[in-house]
Amino acid sequence: MSDIHWPVIVILLPLAGGVACFLWPRRSVLLGLLTALGVVACVAGLGGQVVEQGAQRYAVGGWGAPLGIDLYADGLSLLMLTVTAVVGLGISVYSSGYFERARYGQDRARHFWPVWLFLWTALNALFLSADIFNLYVTLELLGLAAVALVALAGGADAVSGAMRYLLVSLLGSLFYLLGVALLYHSFGSVDIAILAQRVEPSPAVWAAMGLMIVGLLLKTALFPLHFWLPSVHASAPAPVSALLSALVVKASFYILLRLWLEVFPFANAALAQLLGLLGAAAVFWGGFQALRQTRLKMLIAYSTVAQLGYLFLAFPLASITGWTGALYMLLSHAAAKTAMFMAAGNILYFGGHDRIADLDRVVQRLPLTITAFALAGISIMGLPPSGGFIAKWLLLETAIRSAQWWWGGVLILGGLLSAAWVFKVVGYAFTRSEVPHEARAVPATMEWTALLMAVLAILLGLFAPWLLALLEIGSPFGRENAG
Amino acid sequence: MNTVLSALPLILAPLLPLLLAFPALRSRLPRPCYIALLPALILLIVPPPVSIDLPWLLLGTGLGIDDRAGRLLLAMSVLVWVAAAGLLHSANDKPADERLTSCFLLTLAGHLGAILATDLVGFFTFSVLMGYGFYALLVTGGDEGIRRAARVYLVCLILADLALFEALLIAAATAKDLGFETVRQAMAQSASPGLYLSMVLAGFALKAGVWPLHFWLLPAFRSSRPAVALLLGAVPVAIALLGLVRWLPLGEVRLPALGLIIQGLGVAAMLYAILAGIKRTPLTRLPACAAIFVTGLFTTTLGAGLGDPAAWSRYGNLAYFLILLLGLGVAALVAAGRWLQAGSHSPAIPRKPVDASVAWFERWPGAVTRWATQLGADTLPRLRAAWLAKVSGCRRQIRAWQRTLDSGERFLRRWAHAITLFLLLGIVIVFVGALSWVW
Amino acid sequence: MNWGATLPLLVLASSLLPGLVIFFLPEERVATRTTLNLAGAVLKLVLVGVMIWGVFHGSHYETRLPLLPGLDLLLRADSLSMLFVVLSSILWLVTTVYAVGYLEGSPNRSRFFGFFSLCVTATVGVALAGNLVTFLLFYELLTLATYPLIVHRGTDEARRAGRTYLIYTVAGGTLLLLGTVWLYTLTGTLDFTARGFLSGLDEAHHAALIIIFVLLIAGLGVKAALIPLHGWLPQAMVAPAPVSALLHAVAVVKAGAFGIVRVVYDVYGVQFSASLGVTLPLAIVAAATIIYGSMRALFQDDLKRRLAFSTVSQVAYIVLGIAIAGPVAAVGGLVHLVHQGVMKITLFFCAGNLAETLGIHKVSEMNGVGRRMPWTMVAFTVAVFGMMGAPPLAGFISKWHLGLGALDVGQGWVIFILAGSSLLNAAYFLPILYAAWFKPPPDSWPAERSFGRRETAWALLAPPLVTAFLTLALGLLASAPFGLLQWARFITQLEYAP
Repeated sequence: MSDIHWPVIVILLPLAGGVACFLWPRRSVLLGLLTALGVVACVAGLGGQVVEQGAQRYAVGGWGAPLGIDLYADGLSLLMLTVTAVVGLGISVYSSGYFERARYGQDRARHFWPVWLFLWTALNALFLSADIFNLYVTLELLGLAAVALVALAGGADAVSGAMRYLLVSLLGSLFYLLGVALLYHSFGSVDIAILAQRVEPSPAVWAAMGLMIVGLLLKTALFPLHFWLPSVHASAPAPVSALLSALVVKASFYILLRLWLEVFPFANAALAQLLGLLGAAAVFWGGFQALRQTRLKMLIAYSTVAQLGYLFLAFPLASITGWTGALYMLLSHAAAKTAMFMAAGNILYFGGHDRIADLDRVVQRLPLTITAFALAGISIMGLPPSGGFIAKWLLLETAIRSAQWWWGGVLILGGLLSAAWVFKVVGYAFTRSEVPHEARAVPATMEWTALLMAVLAILLGLFAPWLLALLEIGSPFGRENAG
Repeated sequence: MNTVLSALPLILAPLLPLLLAFPALRSRLPRPCYIALLPALILLIVPPPVSIDLPWLLLGTGLGIDDRAGRLLLAMSVLVWVAAAGLLHSANDKPADERLTSCFLLTLAGHLGAILATDLVGFFTFSVLMGYGFYALLVTGGDEGIRRAARVYLVCLILADLALFEALLIAAATAKDLGFETVRQAMAQSASPGLYLSMVLAGFALKAGVWPLHFWLLPAFRSSRPAVALLLGAVPVAIALLGLVRWLPLGEVRLPALGLIIQGLGVAAMLYAILAGIKRTPLTRLPACAAIFVTGLFTTTLGAGLGDPAAWSRYGNLAYFLILLLGLGVAALVAAGRWLQAGSHSPAIPRKPVDASVAWFERWPGAVTRWATQLGADTLPRLRAAWLAKVSGCRRQIRAWQRTLDSGERFLRRWAHAITLFLLLGIVIVFVGALSWVW
Repeated sequence: MNWGATLPLLVLASSLLPGLVIFFLPEERVATRTTLNLAGAVLKLVLVGVMIWGVFHGSHYETRLPLLPGLDLLLRADSLSMLFVVLSSILWLVTTVYAVGYLEGSPNRSRFFGFFSLCVTATVGVALAGNLVTFLLFYELLTLATYPLIVHRGTDEARRAGRTYLIYTVAGGTLLLLGTVWLYTLTGTLDFTARGFLSGLDEAHHAALIIIFVLLIAGLGVKAALIPLHGWLPQAMVAPAPVSALLHAVAVVKAGAFGIVRVVYDVYGVQFSASLGVTLPLAIVAAATIIYGSMRALFQDDLKRRLAFSTVSQVAYIVLGIAIAGPVAAVGGLVHLVHQGVMKITLFFCAGNLAETLGIHKVSEMNGVGRRMPWTMVAFTVAVFGMMGAPPLAGFISKWHLGLGALDVGQGWVIFILAGSSLLNAAYFLPILYAAWFKPPPDSWPAERSFGRRETAWALLAPPLVTAFLTLALGLLASAPFGLLQWARFITQLEYAP
């Protein structure tokens, strides 16, 4: 058991699955689902290994750090992999219903599976990478796959959205790459662990740090660099939107976090405060915008902007509890947002539109879907016992402990804002509208997947101790007094 | 065994009317109003003292009759209630009007309970029940005038209950339990009984309609149905006076100033009652005036008692007799008034056909009462006629006296006569004075 | 031991599971749904009975689930929580019967009963919560479970009311969260402890503790409808009668009041909060609420709205009893927690009966209704007198202890508040009774439904009669052994014993 090279398998399996789907498009659904299950199993295997033996460093081909490719799995990576696996499985199941009989023809369904599995490969590789160049490569792969998926919906909207996304993605990667080049030039290595020992403040490092952070912020869509996100997320097919919101933007955040913690631990407090400030602005801006939207998917997309803002509140707080809080926020947001986009997809599928004002006729016929939406909303609002609550609790606790009140205030007000828009939507479940809508039946898998993802977001609140213990492996955030 | 025997009627006295107040429970019973009085009647013949502790009830309470006064009061009540029960349903009532009976029984329960209560809370509880029950009794089927009176009564009642509640709280905070005797002593020893005393006085004065607060009594007497008017004296007024006797630390404290004020009020009430009684004398007003008069008398006694504890311990029992007098006297006056007013046109008592579905042994109460009513109905008209003749004779005589007095008044109004008389009087007095000095 | 750990969970599950199943039942399976509901309610009652027995005999029922490192979800049955658990499980059974009768034939019943069960689960959770974070969890769950019930009718008015409700309660919940977290950062524990766990804290933190107290009370005060946070309650009366009954008597309002009891007793401790000087302001707020609620009730023509304002006023009694900070007044406050529930639920049942049977919604339409529906009005009358504090009904016992307790600690002003409140109570309740019993009935009722010989459906009539009887029994048997009063004294002894 312990000598199986799980990290490699975790990366190779979705790649193989993607290739298989590409080769046998008729069987793509089956293959895709099997691959998803396989990946989940493999991640579980890796998890077992990490829990047993602590953080893992694995040199591909036995070449070792300075020359070859290293893979590194600690608690943080493991957690990201797990989220990806679980959400990915959900999305796969959902897509099997969505693309099979959707108005998207067989064609699109055929394109979806391989690209999605490539994207998964890229994600897994990203979370396991131990050097910054590798991270760049996987980031680029991820971006391209995501663009392809966005374009999948077809139509002018989707294509222009995809184009915009492509540009943003390339621009972000480019900035990041420049930073990588600078660092490599200065210190002669791209391995994170080695860099962590060698890097010391110098103009070049500052420049590299600036470039990389800006690039990653662009990809993470932190306010005010979020301009591209809503339209892209809203125009993509539902499972793709779910993917983008739940996983893809988190990948760049993950990189940022890694760099911040290990390569640039000397980054000064002002920068952290700035990031926090931008995060706070995102929370408010996204919240207000979400409240103003008339289309459901746009609303959810703006809420993603707001939720990403929360993640950056951890930077000024800068303590283990703070980081865990942010990570937990990421986790529960992934599950909840997936559920929300799935629910929105169901509504769109059923009623043919996602105008909020006309929602009542639809949602009354889709009780499971609206329940999923509501449950996900609970997590997003941060009400107990959801994962969002745990995250909020941790962040709030840190804010109070470190006597930085204002961040607590941001959390509280942001929660109220999201409560406002969640209930704006959920309220439509309780009207008297009796008019039957010209509707198509929604496959049961789609409704149930959405519900299960939402329930997962809630359950995250009840299993926090285990997940937090998992996160501690390899102590990615340093010891208690660090930061 | 003996205690059980005596405790049973003690509990049943208030409980039975309370239960029978539910229409469903009395639908099979003949004459529930009388049956409800049975336990109280039995209680009259049980040798005193009878009492029972009910620590689990409410805040811990009890029932009992300790002294002769209590028994007398009970007897008075039974008498008045029997009479009222007889008059309860007049001929033009719908027989199905069960609400009247229910109100009647509720009031009865409250009344008996208040007499039997041995502590403040019990007394308060039952008197509240009685108060609202009596309000309902007043207002059921009444006309606009009586409704207005009832409304005033209700307001008085609410205010009174509030005041008494405060008094209760103060008592409970001072005394260790709420038995009448304990509270009396505790209050006597208390440093500042002023608030308690004033609350109790105000509360019961409102309930009793003591003179300046009497405004609901007059219309209530005027226009309520006979049974209710009969009860007016014995129920709200008498119980309120009883409350005063029981709650106040009489014979223990010495408060001359307060006593004097109360005495003054009592005298004023009596004067008012006399004036009102003489000035306007429709027959129906008379009982109201009598009630106010007796209340005034009572208040005077009370004031004296507060001013001089020794006097109270000597003459305190007088208060009970006054209460008794009030209940019975007012009832008698009302009965007489109505009876006289009814004159010769008494309603024929409808004969009920015998219900064949009832077994013979269930029929006897009905038979007995029928027989009794017949007896009464046949003999009474003649008696009444004789009385009427006599009363009108009396009235003629009174008129003659009044005329004489009136003419005397007119005589005096002339200055010449008045001055002559004055001078004459002065001469006589001077003369007599000088004579006695010389002697 | 094992049994002790599972019983609280079972008590929760006995309403949670039926609720979840009911969500998925098709609309027309009335019999299954009703059976499930009633079975759940009865089962809960039995389990609670077992639990009381155990608590009385000194067993400990405690379930711990780790929530965060160093912070557990804790369910615990102590004497105070049993008070509330018993209240809610008994009244739940009664209300379920009523709701089944009330909603007969209306749409969306599965949804309704599902949330109904969730609501009760949340309430029992609030009662059993052994620390502040668990309390918070169920408190928020309660908010969420109640919202669908308030907007159940789906009219614009109902949705408006729902919105108001959410704005208030979500904001309140947030304040509570803030206070809780802050407290946690100061102490590192949140477990309820008799006489509080804060008194050992450094003097330097006292200012913070006062602010936290304000935050917590404001958060809880929203649900307890203390002024100026009561605005949602009168609006929420558009909900169906069983929901109003639940809101006002069992669940939401009570959860707020109960929370205040918890905070004052088991978080701060009475002595400590008195020494912080926060109890007197709380008492003043409660007193103001009592008077203000009654004043507003005077001018409402809508029956349920009048009752709602009366709730505002009555629930503040509980808070007042706690805030007076004396053992006797505390007994008053605690028993009023139960008494107010029983009385107010009766009133709402009766109001529902009038609306459902005769279409009467306004006080001005109630003339002579006592003749048409005597039993309903008897129950109503009993409850009204109870509310006014007339002996020997339940309200008297509460008022008695409140007043006595106030005198006990030398705060005589409270008895004038009580008197004023009673007076106002009389002023807004007695005209209703007068109209109902003594005014002649109109020729026809607004929307009459016939139920044969009975005045209304059996399921609608029995619940108010039962609760009215309880009102009477709670007053009469207050001092009985194993009675409520004894239980409340027991609780306060824990808090006040030297």
